Amino acid sequence: MTGYLVRRTGQMVLTLFLIITFTFFLVQAQPGDYASFYVLNPDLPPEVKDQIRAAFGLDKPAWQQYLIHLKNTFTGNLGVSFGNFPRPVLDVLVERVPRTLVLFLTATAVSFYIGFFLGKAMAWRRGGLFEYATTISGALLFTAFTPAFGLMMIWAFAFKLGWFPVGKFLDPLVWRGADVSANYVFGNMLLSAAAFIAFALLVMLCLKRFGRRVPSVAAFPIVLGGALIIVAAWALSGIGGLALDIVKHMVLPVATLTLISFAGTMLLTRNSMLETIREDYVMAARAKGLPDKLVRDRHAARNAMLPIVTSLVYSLIFAIDGSVIIESVFSWPGTGLTLLQAVRSEDLPLVMGAMLFIGMLSLLAHVIVDVLYVYLDPRIRYQ
Amino acid sequence: MTDRHDPLLKVDGLSLSYQTRLGEVQAVRNVSFELARGSALGLVGESGCGKTSIANCLMRLLPDNARLSAGRVLLDGQDILPLAEEDMRLLRWRRISMVFQAAMNVLDPVYRVGRQIIEAIETHGVESTDTAARERVARLFRMVGLDPQLMERYPHEFSGGMRQRAVIAMALSCDPDLMIADEPITALDVIVQDRILRELKAIQQQLDMSIIYISHDIAVVAEVTDVVGVMYAGRLVEMGDTSDVFRAPAHPYTAALMSSFPSVSGERRPLTGLPGEPPNLSDLPQGCPFHPRCAYATDVCRTQYPPQARYGSHWAVCWHPLDATMAVQS
Ligand SMILES: Nc1ncnc2c1ncn2[C@@H]1O[C@H](COP(=O)(O)OP(=O)(O)OP(=O)(O)O)[C@@H](O)[C@H]1O
Ligand code: SF4
Ligand SMILES: [Mg+2]
Repeated sequence: MTGYLVRRTGQMVLTLFLIITFTFFLVQAQPGDYASFYVLNPDLPPEVKDQIRAAFGLDKPAWQQYLIHLKNTFTGNLGVSFGNFPRPVLDVLVERVPRTLVLFLTATAVSFYIGFFLGKAMAWRRGGLFEYATTISGALLFTAFTPAFGLMMIWAFAFKLGWFPVGKFLDPLVWRGADVSANYVFGNMLLSAAAFIAFALLVMLCLKRFGRRVPSVAAFPIVLGGALIIVAAWALSGIGGLALDIVKHMVLPVATLTLISFAGTMLLTRNSMLETIREDYVMAARAKGLPDKLVRDRHAARNAMLPIVTSLVYSLIFAIDGSVIIESVFSWPGTGLTLLQAVRSEDLPLVMGAMLFIGMLSLLAHVIVDVLYVYLDPRIRYQ
Repeated sequence: MTDRHDPLLKVDGLSLSYQTRLGEVQAVRNVSFELARGSALGLVGESGCGKTSIANCLMRLLPDNARLSAGRVLLDGQDILPLAEEDMRLLRWRRISMVFQAAMNVLDPVYRVGRQIIEAIETHGVESTDTAARERVARLFRMVGLDPQLMERYPHEFSGGMRQRAVIAMALSCDPDLMIADEPITALDVIVQDRILRELKAIQQQLDMSIIYISHDIAVVAEVTDVVGVMYAGRLVEMGDTSDVFRAPAHPYTAALMSSFPSVSGERRPLTGLPGEPPNLSDLPQGCPFHPRCAYATDVCRTQYPPQARYGSHWAVCWHPLDATMAVQS
């Protein structure tokens, strides 16, 4: 296991290095360079232009620039964003990346849960209207054109029904006069969410360890109690309204993403289940007299989950890549939208930084899913 | 309540068919037999003759395309075929357990082996605490010749023989009245086969459990069973005390099976193999289904189904039984 982790980390560093190298030369291959943002100004005298180029180090040969870039990146110096001058790129990204992560992790978790739940039910009760309806709607959602679907959601739920705000991260009217920043509120929301997840996991782990005879539903009220305490704490904190505003803005993009991606999980789960259902151990579980639900969940679905988890890494990476589209449709100021704006305004340092972060997130998704897989499949655990 | 001498299991006129695209496959036809408490019954026959299908009927674990068209399965006098699914569920493993034919994948790869056995013990409330359940598994492991510490291992860490033993331990875990062993050792090498067989026999006697032993290997069946039924094309064609049936088979098919296997009595004869193919179950020949392959077939065999007749301690379904002098009209 340790050897595996060491190997995996080594691979990650290498891939990261390749990503940095690749983005650097990609930018080199483009017309224009870092200085274009400034030197394209026709009013500047030529010697000033040269000075600017020298200040960027652009008078040095490409390999030297590359080495400097490499060193800077690895020491966390991603430069200064032109568009957000004088904020450092790292600072901008540290603000934006969590917003993307929250959006996509929530959507992935919800869609995985729903997709898996429906998929296993479909496979277990073959035939009938339920399977037919879910397969059709699943296939439709799976093949939907993301931006069009996003706009449709906005049209229906924001304009027509008025249930949710139209895009953006927050409503300025709500925040006027607030004495805390959005980042402060959002940061605390992240902390609460992390604390809640840790608590829920702990409860489940304890129940699993200390009493097999305690039904797993016992976890539900405890976890719910934890959630209530957190919500109450927010309500009393005085900034609960602000947090609620952010949550409201999250609902529509998360729902859209969920609808787009749960269908894939659902169809995959169904197929995977149809295979495990025929396995001898499922027959054996039934022969042992286990209740139908346990045969399905503990044996058939548990094994059907393995290939789904592998696909999770692809859907996560797909989701992170797709953040550019979804975030522009919903004007959600995360990494994707930042990247798009940076490209439009030739804010090269920010472009490179955003690409680096997206690459790192994909890598991280890979590693997390790998570790999850190792945890879920004992056959791999000991190799 | 139930008399010790009443049969534990009584199968009466059982018929099962599978709906397939090519028509209806009649896998089990009008099969009847009794099994006494604590005794071992063997079912032998070529591949595809319906042995596993009978076992699945007894567990009521049938695929969706299976249809039970007739018959009763009485366990202690109670017909289990009309039972509600929930009642049947509680009966499975507790009363009737099974060692599956393809035992290599019977253990779920993602759980520890011990855990999977405890699961059955818990489901049926055989032990009231987790510790007691673990102790029971340890005892069972010792009984089938496995180190109890192996409980904590995963199936992929087990060899074929170890898995087979674990599966047998699992089948014994809820003290069933009847254990069905469907080709429990076929996949193993001969030495391991012998050892497991001997252990199985000892355990059966020790626990006073009934057993149905399914195999196409006559030598093995002869070794472990008291009563044997020979199946051909979904029917029982000969049945009786194992020693009598194999000493003086009445049905030509039984005799053919015996000559196609190394001798029951120990001397090794070459495998001659049974000539011809087993019949197509959805399109059986008229008369005696065995007639296209039978050396003794006459016109009557080709047109009329033979009557069942008793020969000493066994009966057979044949127009021209091999040792007709023994025939006693039934
Ligand atoms: N689910 C099914 N659908 C259709 N036909 C089936 C099904 N299961 C079994 N059969 C057919 O029923 C017949 C009896 O099968 P069964 O498995 O009971 O035979 P068996 O005696 O156990 O054979 P083996 O020694 O190969 O295990 C075979 O011809 C088989 O092809
Ligand atoms: S009835 Fe005729 S064909 Fe059938 S086994 Fe007996 S002798 Fe052979
Ligand atoms: Mg079989």
